[in-house]
Amino acid sequence: MKKSLISALFFLGFSALVTSSFAGHHGSKSAVVPQITQEAVLTGLESPWDTDLLADGTMFFTEKCKGFSVRLPSGKVHPLYGMTGSSGFADAGEDLWCTNQAGMLGIAVDPNFEKNRRIYVASASTKYHGAGCKTNFERCDGNIVMRFEVSKDFKSVSKRTDIVKDIQFKPFESNHPFGGNGAHNGNRPTFGPDGALWITTGDRHRGVCPQSPDLMCGKVLRIDTDGNAHPDNNPPAGYDKRIYTYGHRNVQGIAFRSDGEVFTAEHGPWHNDELTMLVNGGNGGWDPQQNVGGRGECPDEYCGYMPNQKEGVIPAVRAAFMPMSDTRFTDLMPPAWQNNGYSQGTSSIAFLEGKQWGTYEGRAVVGIMGIAFGGTPAGMRLDVYDIAKDGQSIKSVIHLPVEQKRYRGVTLGPDGALYANTDEGEIYKITAK
Amino acid sequence: MSRFVLCILVFCSVNVSSAVAGDVEAGKARYAQNCFVCHGPSGKGMASYPKLAGKEISYLVDRLERYRSEERFGPNSDLMIMNAIPLSDEEIANLAAYLNSAKVQ
Repeated sequence: MKKSLISALFFLGFSALVTSSFAGHHGSKSAVVPQITQEAVLTGLESPWDTDLLADGTMFFTEKCKGFSVRLPSGKVHPLYGMTGSSGFADAGEDLWCTNQAGMLGIAVDPNFEKNRRIYVASASTKYHGAGCKTNFERCDGNIVMRFEVSKDFKSVSKRTDIVKDIQFKPFESNHPFGGNGAHNGNRPTFGPDGALWITTGDRHRGVCPQSPDLMCGKVLRIDTDGNAHPDNNPPAGYDKRIYTYGHRNVQGIAFRSDGEVFTAEHGPWHNDELTMLVNGGNGGWDPQQNVGGRGECPDEYCGYMPNQKEGVIPAVRAAFMPMSDTRFTDLMPPAWQNNGYSQGTSSIAFLEGKQWGTYEGRAVVGIMGIAFGGTPAGMRLDVYDIAKDGQSIKSVIHLPVEQKRYRGVTLGPDGALYANTDEGEIYKITAK
Repeated sequence: MSRFVLCILVFCSVNVSSAVAGDVEAGKARYAQNCFVCHGPSGKGMASYPKLAGKEISYLVDRLERYRSEERFGPNSDLMIMNAIPLSDEEIANLAAYLNSAKVQ
């Protein structure tokens, strides 16, 4: 009897524990930690940069120096549109090229693909250099966004239309760490729940870019599929109407939470990668111009790696000298998360949706690519962030139990699985149960 | 005298051979410590970091030694200099031997 009573009390207590545990910090959401499995969908690729999928699992993907292809649900791959010097593609653009960080990067499928067969691809291009690009200190329109129509048999594309032709590009090497040409392009196009096309860009190592009203470098753009500004964009007076937010460094990740809020994942310089909830017309707070913010002249007019570019400096001192989110801007969008003084290569971001993700449901997964130098711990992981509803902080961050890789892109598939492409040359399907 | 010359020759040949013929397995282990983070598995190269697999030993040794002496080659030199400075002659020989023999999967 006593034994039974103790058992009953134990059971009741356990039940209460389970109940309160399952209530979780999201209220009704599960506290079950899902079992994660990881399988390679494609291997042997050359720097795959981005993926996007149709409802039946058909997957489009880019390779930075080759072009873009499609993988059918059967597993068959059709190379669709290559870059200069590539071979094996159904067609090619001789103006498309790669160097260092630049090349064919992001890809997005039109929400109305079943009707219009359209996809959108961001790449470096020589087509619109015009009279520019003769030095690093002038306009150089060298990143573009293209629209294509895919044939019904998925073997070719046609009707290339360049809908954004004026995203700036870095034409020459400069006196900076990682100072090669083609630096900081952003270039992650994605569709929002509003049906608009969102384009991220980078500062291309030019000091004036992020705060400039008319240069498209260091921005997040919101446009229609012809390249026109979204009518509800609200940039400051005198700014290009395509601008949704400005003051960015190098945004390689953008994703929408289920409540419609949009977040970016952004590389820091030597310090402070950031996740930021965007505000229409807001300022990311990156301003690497010389002779502003208490700074003097900087190498090649870009203060992004100062105060001393290469030597060790206490991260907080460096961050105070050249802040990622400069509080002198009254329209600053404060980050939800900053990497505690480190820069570890935040790449892509996606939100994990569906009950199969258990306690991770609704959280953001981010690729952390970090190469471990200058006292910074290595990245090579996927981290899962529980971002506060108001987007001003995080509640927790944990590592997703996956292989150690440089995860360049993450995309939530229509099947609820996460598709992650690595610089090593794989595309993985990561499943939760 | 002739015995002394012979000793020098033997000593030199041992030294030369250890400088040239690195240990592939030791190089593989050293590569796995941190080089793979940028240059990828088996030195296949990734992102903006070049392919190293199959390069000539003389080229690999030359570049690592010159990075170690803080000579610059291209935009990622700062990173390579930082990583090459701590390398010993033996580690450089081993890394070169491994990367020369590495096959990209």
